[in-house]
Amino acid sequence: MPVPKIAIQKPALTPFNVVAGIIVVVGLIITVIRFTQGLGATTNLSDYNPWGIWIGFDLLVGVALAAGGYVTSAACYIFGLKRFHSAVRPAILTGFLGYALVVLALHYDVGRPWRLPYPFIVQSGTTSLLFEVAACVALYLSVLFIEFTPAALEWLGLKRARSIVVKLTLVLTIFGVVLSTLHQSSLGALFLIAPSKLHPLWYSPYLALYFFVSSIVAGLSMVIFEGSLAHKHFHNKMDAEHLREADGVALSFAKAASWVLAGYFIIKVIGIAQTNAWSHLGSGYGLWFLVEMVGFVMLPCYFYAIGAREKNLTIIRRTAAWTVLGIVVNRFNVGLVAFNYHLPSSERYFPHWMEIGISVFVVTIGILAYKFIVTHMPILYAHPDYDAH
Amino acid sequence: MGDTMNTLHDFMLRTEGLTYILIVAALCGFVFFWRFLSERDDDRDYLGADRPEGHHH
Repeated sequence: MPVPKIAIQKPALTPFNVVAGIIVVVGLIITVIRFTQGLGATTNLSDYNPWGIWIGFDLLVGVALAAGGYVTSAACYIFGLKRFHSAVRPAILTGFLGYALVVLALHYDVGRPWRLPYPFIVQSGTTSLLFEVAACVALYLSVLFIEFTPAALEWLGLKRARSIVVKLTLVLTIFGVVLSTLHQSSLGALFLIAPSKLHPLWYSPYLALYFFVSSIVAGLSMVIFEGSLAHKHFHNKMDAEHLREADGVALSFAKAASWVLAGYFIIKVIGIAQTNAWSHLGSGYGLWFLVEMVGFVMLPCYFYAIGAREKNLTIIRRTAAWTVLGIVVNRFNVGLVAFNYHLPSSERYFPHWMEIGISVFVVTIGILAYKFIVTHMPILYAHPDYDAH
Repeated sequence: MGDTMNTLHDFMLRTEGLTYILIVAALCGFVFFWRFLSERDDDRDYLGADRPEGHHH
């Protein structure tokens, strides 16, 4: 007698699916309002505050946290540290989704999103930093897409196309590092045009350097943070190579992050010395600056060092999450908190609930896309039909 | 008063002087920090060793 096959299906109404579903529905409703009634109906943006959290969070934080792609691929393919190979695909995927969502969020933020390609085809404005950011983000998103395609092509079984793309790996990695160096720093340099609007403790001629160096920390921390989440939720998808290398990746990246954070702290102090902004440390803003510097730079630096020294993965993973939060705090401070600090509180910006709703919606879309891709494509395991590249 | 800066020269002397001191202190500090980070890195199989040759093409 034939034994009937019983398909074991996971329940569709898990708490995660319910919450994600509600967020997506609300996000879609806000999207309709945004594109039918405009920015005025959905945001608290004004002439004083033309950039809100869709820039401060979705773009500045999104780009920084997506830096894991160029950091990991550079370590593996340019510096030859092949022991990080298993971390490359997850990092590239996170980077690709991060940049795709940055561009998605930008469509909500700019008044006329259909004009986003204008810098390339109508008016180039090549002396503008925004042009450079636009060009680099567009190109780097394309690079990340091509870097990501081997996993998708393996999933689709397109061996010939996959073998062509794999040959481009080194060129794409070099291109990605160059583009990332350019636009990560340029995002900080954007604020150089407003020295009187940004609080002296955050304004510095070295803003471009700060953004670039902190993006390296963000990338390293995101790889550890995302790796720990993948380890917890997608453990069954990871092959032996990923499981074997995961701890070494976390330990090495923690050591590197500790080292870079130490350098970041020093250049921040040097920046204050250069602008002689010491007197501001006694103010309320100064206290908040010290919270950022001590709480989100020095402490992660110390705990990363302790974690790497003691080979304590628990400390490292918690520190990675804390550092990711620190990057959010830093970008919020530069883009929102310390910006327009001289305005009376009645003129200060606080996001409309629909702005927050869209930001949560965009992050949720990213998590759902990550979950779908990791579940279906060879991201956390090597496809048995293909050699590693 | 020692804190008074009347000229650009005063400002540059103060800020650049302090910057140079900070840089030298940081460079010296980095040596100790690197030693602190690395002194237990003798376990090369776990942290430092690369994959065997031929594992990748």
